Amino acid sequence: MIKLIIDNIPVEVPEGTTVLEAAQSVDIPIPHFCWHPALGKAGACRVCAVKMLDGPVKGVQMSCMLPAQDGMVVSTTDDEAMAMRKSVIEWLMINHPHDCPVCDEGGECQLQDFTIAGGHGIRRYDGKKRTYNNQYLGEFIEHEMNRCIQCYRCSRFYQEYAGGADFGAMGRAAIVYFGRQDDGPLQSPFSGNLVDICPTGVFTDKTARFRARYWDYDMAPSVCPHCSLGCNTVPMARYRELLKTTARRNDHVNGWFICDKGRFSNAGVNTPERPRQALVDGKPVSLDEALDALATLLGEFLELHGPDSLAIVGSTRMDLAGNIMAARLREMLGAGTLCLFNDTDRAELTGKAVSLLTTENSASQEDVRSADLVVLVGCDLLDEAPMMALAVRQAWRSGARVYAIAPHPALLPEGEGTQPPLSPGERVAEGRVRGPLPFKFEYIASLADVPLAETKRPVIICGTSRQGLEALKNIQSAFALPFTKGGSGGISSSIETANPPQSPFDKGGLQPEPKLAFILDGPNAFGCAELARQHHGVALSAALADGRIKGIISFEADLHHELPQGIAVLAAADWRPTGLVARAGVVLPTTAWVEQEGIYINNEGRAQRFKKVMNPGLPIKGLTPELHPPRVHGIDAPGGDVAPSARLIALLMQRLGEAVVDEPLSGPWKALKDLDATGAGVIINQREQA
Amino acid sequence: MIPTQLRQELEQRVAKAITPREAAVDVMKGLQRHYGWLTDEAVADAALLLGLSPLQVEELATFYEMIYRRPVGRVVVHVCDSISCWAMGGETLLRHLEQRLGIAAGATTADNAVTLLPCCCLGNCGNGPALMIGDRLFGPVSPEQAAAIIAGHRESR
Repeated sequence: MIKLIIDNIPVEVPEGTTVLEAAQSVDIPIPHFCWHPALGKAGACRVCAVKMLDGPVKGVQMSCMLPAQDGMVVSTTDDEAMAMRKSVIEWLMINHPHDCPVCDEGGECQLQDFTIAGGHGIRRYDGKKRTYNNQYLGEFIEHEMNRCIQCYRCSRFYQEYAGGADFGAMGRAAIVYFGRQDDGPLQSPFSGNLVDICPTGVFTDKTARFRARYWDYDMAPSVCPHCSLGCNTVPMARYRELLKTTARRNDHVNGWFICDKGRFSNAGVNTPERPRQALVDGKPVSLDEALDALATLLGEFLELHGPDSLAIVGSTRMDLAGNIMAARLREMLGAGTLCLFNDTDRAELTGKAVSLLTTENSASQEDVRSADLVVLVGCDLLDEAPMMALAVRQAWRSGARVYAIAPHPALLPEGEGTQPPLSPGERVAEGRVRGPLPFKFEYIASLADVPLAETKRPVIICGTSRQGLEALKNIQSAFALPFTKGGSGGISSSIETANPPQSPFDKGGLQPEPKLAFILDGPNAFGCAELARQHHGVALSAALADGRIKGIISFEADLHHELPQGIAVLAAADWRPTGLVARAGVVLPTTAWVEQEGIYINNEGRAQRFKKVMNPGLPIKGLTPELHPPRVHGIDAPGGDVAPSARLIALLMQRLGEAVVDEPLSGPWKALKDLDATGAGVIINQREQA
Repeated sequence: MIPTQLRQELEQRVAKAITPREAAVDVMKGLQRHYGWLTDEAVADAALLLGLSPLQVEELATFYEMIYRRPVGRVVVHVCDSISCWAMGGETLLRHLEQRLGIAAGATTADNAVTLLPCCCLGNCGNGPALMIGDRLFGPVSPEQAAAIIAGHRESR
């Protein structure tokens, strides 16, 4: 440890820490533009100047470039350092336009903050400003180069951190230009992060352009629902419209960034197609009336067909509480079937994956970033979990070797750069053509060929495909993981056996056991697998194949296959306009994840709470003058008569005669009751749950 | 299309490098010699040869001041405008040459013979004011000497 003094405060930091980070560790802010925790230093902006009063280095120094050393005495408030910072800011502002009033960054702009903080208030320069032509960078990011202060954060992120090759820094000296060679959409699936890391308004979110100021937004810590990784976000809404999504730092999960799929998939929350009106047989009713009708309908159905004929369908995209309540509803009704997964494969594979994970061997994205060997098995990272590809890239940048298990030589594409399930040119979210993975890797035939001998922190990343399932069996034989009782549909319970099979890694302790990461299907797939285990859930396809099911009630469920016509959809609760909603006798509109509090359990078993960001209701934008302001008195906004699925189920259970409905996070889930939305999350240990 | 012989030469140069990027300047200079300046086509050629994206070649091409991304005359005159040469009369030298050639700094004469480029710095500070033509450094030069040097190059081309 290194001991130094910063502004009269003794600080102790590990070797390799910069003076800037050392100051931050004791809450002394030092202005900085080019330095970024995830990108490191560049020494490009000169605004983090401090004065070294004593020690091995003297005078005014750049705190981001200077490693902390024993005996340093640092002043951030010294006159000379302050004067330097003030001059640097004045100089950075020389070409910066005075367009803050029409700039989307205004109010959330680091350059504004540090200009004010640095004491530069009056412009002395009255010469001509340097100007640039802007580029069209696609439908998601607006480019305004005149605002640039040349910190190089964007090009460093884009090329070094994210592996993009179509955007960078051109020119030199006073004419540096950050852009593409020609106009055109940015190709990187992580390009949206330019908006977050640019310290000023060169890159702003085009999808929310000119819509709101920072202080106008409804904001809360949230979790991305668009894949199983559970990246942390801050969605921003105004006037009942989800306008944009930004990354929220979580060092264990996504670090500082999110992918474009997570950032730019906001439209579904605001769409006019979204079910917002409770319906009974197509007739608009209040939510309460719809629940009354459903209770009656359900009573009649159960009397006519018996409890065995009902399936209660949950979903991997519904939050934990909703799925817990779906399970409780089934318990209360005495029989019926609980279906949290669509098909048997998915249920089986997710169950097996979850049963393989323990607190010790579950790999977080951080574990992947710091791995020294990564094996990819049957997954298409850029499609299924883009941020995992970014995590693998960080490992690869630090020297990790990356291998992909090839399913069959005949299926391999020619040359390198793509992996088996990925066909080049395929369209992905946001209309981009999927590019190559942002790291180099080698194909190998099986896990047995992986040179594990010299690795210390190996990670295996596995998809939930049929290929993945096959490879899981290979993992079992190659590493003798505790994976013996993989039954059909059910969840392996071998993890609870007293004597798990001996692992080769225990012998002599020479090789570390590889950590495992599974790419699951949906933000709460882990939670559903765990609930399916606790409550003996059956996949919907298996339940239907059985022939006894005559009707279903679905909660936020997506069906991959058309439901047979003979099956009655008694009710569908959802905020998305699914086929089930279109068919349902009773439609119960629910809140979207940003309109409620909830918990998702991500692919590593990490339970993370998300907070309510905004009130539900029709977005004011798009309402005609007849609809806004509303002409009818009421507490709710138009289209706001919706409720979280968990709440709807609780109300339904009351109507069906349950005297006291327990809150969802009780019993085995009690530990999650006080989960902090801004913390690291809690790893669910199946053994504790069992 | 570049001639097969040049392509092979450049491919060999790239193969010799530890990382392809390291050979970028040589490849760009080779292509510039062939085309006269680094054309858009040459940027694409270089990208293919180096295994970089065209943008990444563009980043390097626009960084180096002796890689020309616009057409230049047969003789390119770099006149140093850095501080040492400025102190020794570099500014006067440049103005004089502008007048003499009848073009502004950065432009090419109508007969496509001479391009006049200010640049920073030639590393010839001890002999300011300095100028460079091709690989040859000159300095210290008076405006008259400079004009004579340029005239000499103009004839020899």
